[in-house]
Amino acid sequence: MIRIRNLAFAYAQSVFDLQIDELQIQASSATAMVGPSGSGKTTLLNIIAGILSPDSGCVSVMETDLAGLSDAARRRFRLKNIGLVFQEFELIDYLNVLDNVLLPCRVDRAFPLTSDRRDRAAGLIEDVGLKDHLKKSVTRLSQGERQRVAICRALLMRPPLLLADEPTGNLDPVTSDQIVKLLLRAVQDEGTTLLMVTHNHSLLHHFSRTIDFAEFLTTSARGASVEESRR
Amino acid sequence: MTGNAFYLAARSLRWYRGRAVTIVACLSLTLWLPLTVRLLLNQFRTDIVSRAEATPLIIGAKGSRIDLALHALYFDTVPPESTTMAEADYVQDTGFASAMPLHVNYRTQSVNDVEGVPIVGTTVEYFEFRKLYIAEGNGLAMLGDCVLGCNVAARMQLRPGDRILSAPRNAFNLAGDYPLRMNITGILAPSHSPDDDVVFIDLKTAWIIDGIGHGHQKLADKTVDDGMLLEKSDDHVTASAAVLPFTEITPENIDSFHFHGRERDYPISAVLAGPYSRRDQTLLLGRYASSRTETAQCVKPTDVVQELLNIVFRVERLVWLGSVLSGIVTGLLLTLVLLLSIRLRAAEMQTMWKIGCSRYTIVSLIGTELLLMTICGVAIAMVAAWLSRIVAADWLRSLLF
Repeated sequence: MIRIRNLAFAYAQSVFDLQIDELQIQASSATAMVGPSGSGKTTLLNIIAGILSPDSGCVSVMETDLAGLSDAARRRFRLKNIGLVFQEFELIDYLNVLDNVLLPCRVDRAFPLTSDRRDRAAGLIEDVGLKDHLKKSVTRLSQGERQRVAICRALLMRPPLLLADEPTGNLDPVTSDQIVKLLLRAVQDEGTTLLMVTHNHSLLHHFSRTIDFAEFLTTSARGASVEESRR
Repeated sequence: MTGNAFYLAARSLRWYRGRAVTIVACLSLTLWLPLTVRLLLNQFRTDIVSRAEATPLIIGAKGSRIDLALHALYFDTVPPESTTMAEADYVQDTGFASAMPLHVNYRTQSVNDVEGVPIVGTTVEYFEFRKLYIAEGNGLAMLGDCVLGCNVAARMQLRPGDRILSAPRNAFNLAGDYPLRMNITGILAPSHSPDDDVVFIDLKTAWIIDGIGHGHQKLADKTVDDGMLLEKSDDHVTASAAVLPFTEITPENIDSFHFHGRERDYPISAVLAGPYSRRDQTLLLGRYASSRTETAQCVKPTDVVQELLNIVFRVERLVWLGSVLSGIVTGLLLTLVLLLSIRLRAAEMQTMWKIGCSRYTIVSLIGTELLLMTICGVAIAMVAAWLSRIVAADWLRSLLF
């Protein structure tokens, strides 16, 4: 599903330097990534999602080399194949629950808002227990409920790959457990590949594989990571 | 994308309604002023030019040309120096034009809390000249009759058969004009001109209000109380102040009304002249330019109005300049507001981009919001300008004349 080789990435005017020699993630697997802050977990997710472009190396998602795609093609690829869940939920305040879930269909003509997609959105919202909040503003939901709406949005297009960046970072342990189970259900029911960044080690037992960034990075990258952590 | 862009933009505007309302209000106000000024001036120009074009020549006493023209066209101004009926006779005698004397010296008293309106004394030719028709009741038949312009009738809630009083010009002049109670015989059809806002009477009735003509009980009668007479001989009678003139003309007392002096000396405020041809008009103008410059003047209303419009155009240019400057300031402020707002919404745009929204789409979303606010602002400004024109047209006319 994901194959990374000789990846190098650095932010301009920063000591941060991410280098990965080799990384492969199997399809329909649930992988957790742990590691110290500033070690590049979120950066790696953004590279896999095509939001950031590596300085060198090859990143292949679903047999597609992201470096070979234009910006527009990468964006479309992301919209169609990758669901994103963020720590801060990143919902649109002025849209209600249903409209937030349907947002991916409203931002690109290639993926129009069809009745099937409406039904899918309503079904997902019902599945996460928010059926009664369909028309409610997302600002009136609890943190856990907001994250569930974000997960519905990520799953709307039935993406083969789900990238979650500390989705439980702002949630209490019970809600965190519920959210992870929701994500894992997508893996189980729809064969989605899940790659999730977390700091919560108590959740790791849910995952088939754990990547520890502290061990995984090259020496120079680790040094930079420690430096970033100190900052 | 268009439908979705409008949907998302509408949702966003609703959510950030405080900001949206402020921007729309700024836009509306910035556009409203120049639009209203333009509409009002166009209306004013149309009104004043059409009325002037429909009036070939105005003749009156020497003095301000503008005062004379505006008085003869719109009535609702301070009367210029009076001329006499001799001027109307002169015009008629030249054979170049038909003369329509106007005597606009008095107003009615207020009725039903509505302020009094000008009383226009004229002849029947004026009604034909201006194409004024009676919509209700009858025309002027006898002394003391009046017909109302349609707006006067509507505002004062008067109908044929009702009475209306003239207002004395000076309440302290005991020997002067008494209020005349006039009988309303008819109401004119709307003409959408100043004729809708005045009361018309016969010229002789106007002179009765002036005190030139009057009626009182017969002093030669043997039944008259001697206390009312100061002097009595076979050939003349001198009455005391105890003899009061009639203040209403009725079929019973109409025969007692009479005028003193020669009609050619009676005052009028202006004469409208309707030349029979272009040549006649030129000849009449020539007559006044050559031989009557000492006492009278003959003006072409279109020329006077053009002078007036030139002043208005200068004012309009000033208003436009002010509007352009305030528009620039508003534009800069709105740009600042938008830039700050975009900065505040950076996270939201980042999210959209992350989930797969193109930068072009994000720009088009913001553009659609701007478009919707602009459409609202322009629409509100246009409606407000249109309403302002309706409300302020009469006010502007009263302000200018």
